[in-house]
Amino acid sequence: MALFLTAVVLALAVIPLVYVFDAQFYKETRVGLSEERSLDAVKAVYASAEYLGYLANALILAALVTALSLLVGVVLALLVARTDLSHKSLWDTMITLPLYLSPFTGLMAWITLGSEKTGFINHILRKILGVFIENPKPLVNIWSYGGVVFIMFLFFCPFVYLFTVGSLRSMNTSLEEAARMSGATAITGLRKITLPMCLPAILASGLLVFVLSVEMYTVPGIIGATVGFTTLPWKIFEDSTAIPVHRAHAAAGGCLLLFVTIAGVWLQNRLTQVSSRFVTVGGKGFQGRPIALGKYSWLAVGIILLYVLLADILPFGALLIASFMRFSASMITPDLFTTKHYVAFFTTQNMMAALWNTIFLAVLTGIICVLLGFVISLMDLRRPSLVTKSIAFLSILPVAVPGLVYGLGLLWTYLQTPLYGTIWILLLAHVAKMLPYGVIVSRSGLLQLHPELEESARMCGATPTRAIASIAAPLVKPTLIAILFFVMLNSIKELSASILLYSSNSHILSVLTWHYMDNGDYQYAAAIGIIQTAIMIGIVLITRMLFRARLEAAFGQ
Amino acid sequence: MTSRTAAVLSLLALLAAPPVAAQQASSYTSDEAKLYEAAKAEGTVVWYVGGPLDGMNAIAAEFQKVYPGIKVETLRLVGVAQYQRFLDETNAKKYLVDVLQSTDYPSMVSLVDLGHIAQWKLPTFDKIPERYRIKDYAYAQYTSTNAIVYNVNKVTPEEVKLLESGWEAVLDPRFKGRFSVSSMKCGVCYAPVHMFMDPKFKDRFGPEFLRKVVAQQPAVYAEVLVTLDRVVAGEQDFTMWGWESAAAIKQMEGAPIRWIFPKPTPDFGNSWQGISKYSTHPNAARLFLNWTMSEKGALAMERIYGGYSTLQGIPDVRVYAQEKWYAQPKEIYPVDWERWGNNYHKDMDEWAAIIKRGRN
Repeated sequence: MALFLTAVVLALAVIPLVYVFDAQFYKETRVGLSEERSLDAVKAVYASAEYLGYLANALILAALVTALSLLVGVVLALLVARTDLSHKSLWDTMITLPLYLSPFTGLMAWITLGSEKTGFINHILRKILGVFIENPKPLVNIWSYGGVVFIMFLFFCPFVYLFTVGSLRSMNTSLEEAARMSGATAITGLRKITLPMCLPAILASGLLVFVLSVEMYTVPGIIGATVGFTTLPWKIFEDSTAIPVHRAHAAAGGCLLLFVTIAGVWLQNRLTQVSSRFVTVGGKGFQGRPIALGKYSWLAVGIILLYVLLADILPFGALLIASFMRFSASMITPDLFTTKHYVAFFTTQNMMAALWNTIFLAVLTGIICVLLGFVISLMDLRRPSLVTKSIAFLSILPVAVPGLVYGLGLLWTYLQTPLYGTIWILLLAHVAKMLPYGVIVSRSGLLQLHPELEESARMCGATPTRAIASIAAPLVKPTLIAILFFVMLNSIKELSASILLYSSNSHILSVLTWHYMDNGDYQYAAAIGIIQTAIMIGIVLITRMLFRARLEAAFGQ
Repeated sequence: MTSRTAAVLSLLALLAAPPVAAQQASSYTSDEAKLYEAAKAEGTVVWYVGGPLDGMNAIAAEFQKVYPGIKVETLRLVGVAQYQRFLDETNAKKYLVDVLQSTDYPSMVSLVDLGHIAQWKLPTFDKIPERYRIKDYAYAQYTSTNAIVYNVNKVTPEEVKLLESGWEAVLDPRFKGRFSVSSMKCGVCYAPVHMFMDPKFKDRFGPEFLRKVVAQQPAVYAEVLVTLDRVVAGEQDFTMWGWESAAAIKQMEGAPIRWIFPKPTPDFGNSWQGISKYSTHPNAARLFLNWTMSEKGALAMERIYGGYSTLQGIPDVRVYAQEKWYAQPKEIYPVDWERWGNNYHKDMDEWAAIIKRGRN
């Protein structure tokens, strides 16, 4: 097994990343790399104030987004999982709904909503406030630094929520109960018992949000130019795509981000090193009483509703409206209405092929990442050795490199093989980019599972495989289903590596959405975004029926 | 070695080997009927496009109507991304593309110089002006003409007249904070900078003019098409970084925009098309290129996409060009490709620096 996993990790992570690492040591031509070796790019990226400034911008932005996402995500999770709030199932669904939208599509929705002069929100408010005040000032301006943080937070917060709520629900609450019985207030119990026990899940989600924020180039890039700040991923995007191309600079920038993430993973491992501290699913379980909100229940509902309004109702509504518009406008009038984008989608030859390719990739990527992620984490935690630890560590590296740069590594690795030009190279890219989630999340789930359960089975005569199949796997089944949901959703949204690897017979929806946005056809892109969301919901519903599990309930268990 | 391994390796070797068509000398018939027969036998043509996917797919569909039995598969790769992908594939002997359509002229020149583009003299060769051809290898499908694109609800007719008089009009105090520019690096984005930085205009434009433009506090967008979209929505009154074919698509949809061509107007051949020397569907590729650069193909492109064909002597069927408000550019500024290739990086960096300094 270790040999097989080593081969997988080599093929998916190590070889492509070695190509990327190597690429930074070449001299550049106007359109690519020359044969000549050079340290110019390395010096320019690692030691120039310009690039280090871009890195600092990306880190500060990611820190702000992560902090906000952690704050709101954990509060929302506590409200839903630990209080007597009603309609929990509804809140679960609504809080996780932004996962069904890519941040870039969300950005387009928020441009429609929050542009200073023509955004729907300012337009409506101007009409209302105009009755009382002369020339009211716009309330929101998405073309600002705050706008970037806000949009990224809205779409990353559900990750924190999912990880934390799942962990809270599966947690043995006897310690919390004991604290309460010893006179601790509900808040003290949460602060001193509950939250520390959820730390692996919270840290895992924080790391995930940080990594996703650091590598994101679309939202900070598009708004950033207007505000006057540049992040490293956007610079990497420019270096990779604009003439003159700076492929060596892009590779060096990608490696710089990789080092940042490695530091983050190392930090997370240090913080959760003593895994037994977090074991909460032992041989016995106990679910205590929820905290009574009493007169504050309206406040809790208000907080959740505000998030739901900003993250779901407004952007999905704007996107839906945009998908039926002929062009962008601040006022919705009947003459703007058209169904042509949807008609075109279902009648254009590339589109239906793209639809099926997208579904095919999502399902297959999901299954592969669940299986590989579980096995890699299990071996890392239950059979710790240099080899298993190295496999676990190397398998999560591709998530740390911007997809554009990682995609280049994959392209160079597989260009000479029959996989190139087929959908299989996209599958490799998707598995490589999503496998880290499989490893991180299943690790988080396994950390909460005491080995004593498997040891008991072994003592009763079960083989190691039988003990895992009969004890560990069923107990972490909700976590595995959560990974399946999560990977499928993200596979459908994956763009940055796919855009380098797709071919004329392997179109996928995310790439087509990008092309329509790149063409300036935002309304058609909005229609594809809506269809993409519908597919995601469809896949989640089918998976839910098959496994009798819910995404919101499954995560982080 | 097992027989199974041997079979797999043989298959891999077969797949990696250059196709027969790629090794053949180029001797193709110019007789359309014979070419069509040969193309039908090939069945497919793979077209790497740089233009908007929607428009290019519509053009491909039009070709398929005229020549049933040949499927056009499009793959959108813009500018240098297409060049790199093609070179990577060619170096790996992966011959996936038949016809290239590049939005980056220097890239197409480089491919011709490197010997990757097949020589093919179009039947309409003589109707294409020399500046829209790269010898008899590649041909510009349409022209890109920079323009000031404005929202008709935001800019008065008097202001339109003022802007028409020349680019300097944007410096009028009345336009402060009302328009947009782009910091993006792309062909149509560089064309105005290229003209403003032309040494022959150093007294009229030059970096000083660009500094004054930035002092007018324009909105700066990273994506050039966002500048257009924001004008369509009414967020900005006009954009200095517009161009006709992009604006035309929105205008034909009914967007409240029009455009004018201040004097002088940058104009250059765009969407350079050539046949890969290693095309695995060489007859279909030739038939397709012949058609896109024929009168019928050019008219279809003008009607569907709104671009202005480089083919001379054909009627102008662009819908918007028949409307009363529309006026052709009065003073064309043909780009200097040599200076374009040499100065692109330097000029765009200077433009970015001017924007940055203007903000501080």
